[in-house]
Amino acid sequence: MKKFSIILASALIGCGLTTVVSSCSEDGLDIENGNSLNTSNFWKTESDAEKGVVAVYNMFYRQGTWTRNIYTQLNGMADDGVSYAGWSELAEYSKFIFTNYNFSEFNTKAYSEHYVAINRANQVLDHIDDIPFADSKHRDDLKAQTKFLRAFYYYYLANIWENIPICLTTSSAADRPEQGDLDRMLTIVENDLLDARNDLPLTRPESEYGRPTRGAAYALLAKAYAQHHKWNEAAEALKWIVEGEGKPLYDLVSDYGDNFRESTENNRESLYEIQFSMVMGTVGFDGTDNYASSSAQLGTQIEINQSPAGIGWNNIEANRWLVDWFKREKTVDGKNDPRLYYTLFYREAADDFPDNDNRIYKWDSWNEGWGNRVFIRKYSTDTHVNDIYYWNGNNFRSLRLADMLLLYAEVLNEINGAPTDQAIDLVNRVRTRAGLPELANSTYYNLATIKSSKEAFLNHIKTERALELACECVRWFDLKRWGIDNEQTLAELKSRDSDFNNFIIGKSIRVPLPQKDVDNNPNLKQNPNY
Amino acid sequence: MKQKLLLILACVALLPGIAMALTVKGLVVDETGEPVAGATIRCEGSQSGTATDLDGQFTLDVPETAKNLIVSFVGMITQNVAVKPQVRVVLKENANNLDEVVVIGYGQVKKKDVLGSITTVKEKDLQDRTTGNVLEAMRGLTSGVKITNSGQAGSSPSMVIRGLGSLTNNTPLFIIDGAYAGNELGVNVEDIESIQVLKDASSAAIYGSRAANGVVIIKTKSGQGDGKLKVKFDAQLQLNWLPRYDLMDAETYKLYDNRAYDEAILAGVDKVFQRQNHYNGNTDWQDAMLRTGTLQNYNVAMSGGNEALNFYTSFNYMNDKGAMKYTGFEKYGFRVNTAGKKGIFSYGENLYYTYSTTKVLNSVGNVWSNFISMPPTIPVYDPEHDSGFGYGDSDRANSYGLNPIAMQELDQRVNKQEYLFGNVYGQVEYPEWARAKVNVAYKSYIGTTDRLRKSGSWTMGQGSDSAVLGWNEARYHDILVEQTYEFFHTFGKHDISALAGMSWNHFIQRDHSLTRQNPAQTDDKYLTEIDAATGDMTAGGNYGEYNLISYFGRINYNYDDKYLVQLTGRRDGTSKLPSKRRWGNFFSGSVGWRISQEAFFDIDWINDLKIRANYGSLGNSNIGNWDYVATLNSGPRAVFGTAENVAIGATQSRLVNTDLVWEKKTTFNVGVDFTVLNNRLRLSADYFNAKSKDLLVYLPILMSTGNEGGAPAVNAGSLTNNGVEVELSWNDHVGDFFYSATLNLSHVRNRVDDLGYGQDEYLTATSLSRIGSPLAQWNLYKMLGIFQSQEEIDNYVNSQGKIIQPNAKPGDIKYDDYNDDGQISSDDRQDCGSPWPKLEMGLNLTFAWKGIDLAINTYGRFGQKVFNGAAYTAGDFQDNQNNFNGIVPWTQEHPVNDRPRIIYGDSRNTRYDQDRWLEDGSFYRISDITLGYTFPQKWTRKIGMQNARFAITGKNLVTFTKYSGLDPEFADSGIWTQGYDGCSFPNPRAVQFALSFNF
Repeated sequence: MKKFSIILASALIGCGLTTVVSSCSEDGLDIENGNSLNTSNFWKTESDAEKGVVAVYNMFYRQGTWTRNIYTQLNGMADDGVSYAGWSELAEYSKFIFTNYNFSEFNTKAYSEHYVAINRANQVLDHIDDIPFADSKHRDDLKAQTKFLRAFYYYYLANIWENIPICLTTSSAADRPEQGDLDRMLTIVENDLLDARNDLPLTRPESEYGRPTRGAAYALLAKAYAQHHKWNEAAEALKWIVEGEGKPLYDLVSDYGDNFRESTENNRESLYEIQFSMVMGTVGFDGTDNYASSSAQLGTQIEINQSPAGIGWNNIEANRWLVDWFKREKTVDGKNDPRLYYTLFYREAADDFPDNDNRIYKWDSWNEGWGNRVFIRKYSTDTHVNDIYYWNGNNFRSLRLADMLLLYAEVLNEINGAPTDQAIDLVNRVRTRAGLPELANSTYYNLATIKSSKEAFLNHIKTERALELACECVRWFDLKRWGIDNEQTLAELKSRDSDFNNFIIGKSIRVPLPQKDVDNNPNLKQNPNY
Repeated sequence: MKQKLLLILACVALLPGIAMALTVKGLVVDETGEPVAGATIRCEGSQSGTATDLDGQFTLDVPETAKNLIVSFVGMITQNVAVKPQVRVVLKENANNLDEVVVIGYGQVKKKDVLGSITTVKEKDLQDRTTGNVLEAMRGLTSGVKITNSGQAGSSPSMVIRGLGSLTNNTPLFIIDGAYAGNELGVNVEDIESIQVLKDASSAAIYGSRAANGVVIIKTKSGQGDGKLKVKFDAQLQLNWLPRYDLMDAETYKLYDNRAYDEAILAGVDKVFQRQNHYNGNTDWQDAMLRTGTLQNYNVAMSGGNEALNFYTSFNYMNDKGAMKYTGFEKYGFRVNTAGKKGIFSYGENLYYTYSTTKVLNSVGNVWSNFISMPPTIPVYDPEHDSGFGYGDSDRANSYGLNPIAMQELDQRVNKQEYLFGNVYGQVEYPEWARAKVNVAYKSYIGTTDRLRKSGSWTMGQGSDSAVLGWNEARYHDILVEQTYEFFHTFGKHDISALAGMSWNHFIQRDHSLTRQNPAQTDDKYLTEIDAATGDMTAGGNYGEYNLISYFGRINYNYDDKYLVQLTGRRDGTSKLPSKRRWGNFFSGSVGWRISQEAFFDIDWINDLKIRANYGSLGNSNIGNWDYVATLNSGPRAVFGTAENVAIGATQSRLVNTDLVWEKKTTFNVGVDFTVLNNRLRLSADYFNAKSKDLLVYLPILMSTGNEGGAPAVNAGSLTNNGVEVELSWNDHVGDFFYSATLNLSHVRNRVDDLGYGQDEYLTATSLSRIGSPLAQWNLYKMLGIFQSQEEIDNYVNSQGKIIQPNAKPGDIKYDDYNDDGQISSDDRQDCGSPWPKLEMGLNLTFAWKGIDLAINTYGRFGQKVFNGAAYTAGDFQDNQNNFNGIVPWTQEHPVNDRPRIIYGDSRNTRYDQDRWLEDGSFYRISDITLGYTFPQKWTRKIGMQNARFAITGKNLVTFTKYSGLDPEFADSGIWTQGYDGCSFPNPRAVQFALSFNF
């Protein structure tokens, strides 16, 4: 009896439990992840494709891309910019002293975030053809935008690091991509832009500003060809902008300063602007680089990054020679070049531009502690403010017409082996907008000398570009295009920027690849001599 | 035992005729003053003997000639006492007791029958160790177990059993009273009766997929069934101090910093033209942040019951005012354990509730590294700054150091946690045949963190941020339902038992967070409720869930106490793996041979000798809940148009491997247990070889993949750990003087067998893991010395005659051109040693004489190379950091060969990936010395106490090491950065006073 009761009791407990357990059994092991959508249900609709493309644009708003670090690095390596950053490793990186190839603040962050952008673009391109669209033109537009963006990121990756991994399809964890070189990478950029250009509209409605137009594609294409020394192809692209379909769409704005003001964004001079905005409000410092947050910042830190010591981080500032060069010429009405004012903060600015507002953020005048230093004014807040915030919403003019005009002049000179009249006119167009006389009437430059040879003209173009485009992240690639492969060129750069004392020919022209990727990818070799 | 007793009683009964001259009356008690019932009293040199009654009393008639009584009891050290009319005998526990019961998964066995590698820690070992954390209390007590703690109030130590076997999580499975516990370990040290550490496959196999890192089973106390109420009160007061860096004061700092600037100007470091215009402060940042910590811990326990019902309840309060300002931990704990029995039914429950408050340090920067980074010239407070705190300035102290006081004042976080933890079980038992048990365990957790970020800066260039309130909450529930059936019987010499069971485990977690800008403010005071804030708000939330279903069984067979066999199997299904791969089977088998039981075995001085071997597999799926599912990141936004319209984006950010399988670990273990010299000496030795396959690991992948949000989980590679463990203990007494010594030694070596993704090696910035070698070996640039002259620089050439460091100056580091290519490049990194200790040991000594006892616990680790992150952080004034007193950098006048010149703004000599920062991390530490005094019972009885004890403990007072960092015992910062001491929070030194009463 006792035995029976035990068996019964055990059986009861057993059955009860077995019921509990088995009811939750095998099925219980299928648990849905309700935190986020599953990718298997994605890439099905037009709206999915649109979202996928927006995610690529989103990569502009990252510390390693256009929020912050690229300004320090690109301006710093060039002869117009210099870093006094209190973080010595950051400063060294902009001076060709690359000790730690995994330096997180620039090298790994910028490199990896560029590849994040590329992988986001690759996802769109791998899926979009399988998605039904009501209007296939919409698909073509989205595809073209994506190709433009991929080209955009590869353009910077290739020009900074050169021998980089080639990733053109959606990544998987086990990938060990092969290595390209500058030639191959620029070809990839060019092909994407050639594919994209015709599917991009000539103009976009105001609500679509920020998405590339055909002009943007031609502009980037022209820059890529020029870096590639494919002068004829570059000329064709530039011709489209300056003389062709682009001609009625773009013009230099009359006030040079409009290129750097928040109130005059998306103007006729811009071929492409990265759209920054403070719509996300003032979320704290951690609000950038949060890859998954829908409230991550959409502003830029260009201002706090470059603003003077005691106000911002002063990670990047300008070299003194820019001031001197600007002051070589006066405008036709005898004043200093207004571009000097809009480009730089420096000690004598108040004397040089008595009619302008010469307050520097919270300081009413030059802080003597800054001595002879020269800070970058471009993109700084117009209004007098006590403290600047981490971010501001001023768009970065990535491709603007003045750059194209000067580039066209340079390309024409290369093709013809000598400066053409058209090339001179292009230069004059840029000069006269700033109020300077045409070259023929210049008080400093001699047109005859400039016209005397291809080299002489190129030399002059270098000056015009230096002044018109100073501290706009253009100069380093210009220097690379012109080459730093002999002691004479290097000596000249050293005379303007002592950073070049650390430059080693054949090595420093490209940044070392992040060592972590080199170490763990058998198909990737470190850049030469690192 | 029973038989022996009967025999003695029979002897007494059968010898009535002998003349009795003296009657001895006596009492036998244990160390806590509890009566010992059933102890044997024998008269030396005579046949007379008796046993104590339930109250520990006995009466024995002895011949007049009798001199000594021999008092013995199972598990106690046998005592000789002189014959007197009244005797009181205190029996001490024998740590080498073979009949002691050892808790194993879903059951228990006698120590002599144990087939696996199990170490037991008992209540007594934990006495006086307090600090509220079980793991910390266990330091150095067991072999093969590495426990590392951080000295921060409220922090939890980490525990690794037998080396790194997994690459995701090496925390063992904790089971408290049959319920799975997480790392939080909801238990008071004072409530613990015993801890068993199950180290090999055979012991742990019944836990299958959860046990790859070993199992720690904690059993809490239960009430006695003797009808008496027992009350125990414990109080401890601890004063503690954190070690400090020996840093320069402002005057010395200025001297060196000026020299670093002079050197930079001289060497033409770009954009350095003049020395710093130093601030006038003289701040000892450590002095500003550190204080004497006080920890108070009180515990009251009440227990009692009768044969039908017993209970144990306790209340615990702990208040740890940390030795670092702005830290603190306060905890309340309640426990109720009850058990009842009626006929074949028994029932019980264990419940524990705890509520704690932790003050959390600002997570933005490491306080310890900022002690070094902050120049001492900066004042703590600076009215020039909006926040009122001092920090860097490009002209006066060009430093991005974070003011540690400002960081805590401006960003305050309080973390509140509540746990409810417990289980209920019911059982029916048919004696000597079968048992069925249902166990339901439940754990609930609510943790909230309140944050107030006031506006204001704590470092240079911090941008003006508005104040913000933050709140987040995490909750989880963990439910476990288990049923087990056991059958056991003895047929003659065959002893068989079998167990079958199943379990279902469900875990669900929810997290929520809120932030809101601009809290309302009156003067300097902020209102900290969300409603009182007016700014932008953000909210977030997510959940996690998993299920684990398991079936398991075990068969034990024992023939004549000589041959022992155990077979175990478990089948686990988890929701964390893809549906086709989610079931895993795990088996183990063990055999043992007690040679000492054999008839032919006739060595008197060996009491017990057993050899045992086992082989088995365990699993691990300790990864995220949905690591195999590719998910969409819907966070990305972009802005378009003049109206700045925000567009919503989506993409897959984190790559996944959809083909994940169970990680499996197969372990082979052989061991010998040896008890000799009248149970005084015990030796246990084990050799093991554990091979982990299909290791689940978040192995970092190439940046060129564009992966974000953490490396995907992958079954990458395999790892072998093999090692030897020895535990040796000696227990004896000379008269009233009792002493014991326990030594445990372990040596573990790991080897990488495969690395996944088809790679032969995996490199991080400082380490290299290569197939065939141990994991994460240091891989760095090697410093050969310091260039003493330009001549030496010019003569430092490779085999082709190329000058290797043409840009070097005298005083710079001479790096080894390992690949002989005539330049220092990334290929010059080389093997610089291993972060793994060659030997780990613990030595514990106890002495007792009358009421006085002394315990000394020591342990050490030897042979590991560690990275001194503090030395690297100091960085030779490169970024105006502070440095240590007594450094002798290279100068023309002091041409040393081990430390380069100091130079501001130049990283050539301070790169982190060089062996200059490596040091021998060996240490041997006297972790606890406890001197205790138990008051004589004749006094304590008078005031109604059974037992009263006072003890004083010194913790971490002496450490022998050559390591120049703060503490050679630091928490590793990750799998691939073993041995990297990144200015870890050091362990405090402490003095503790403890008082304990029993009623």
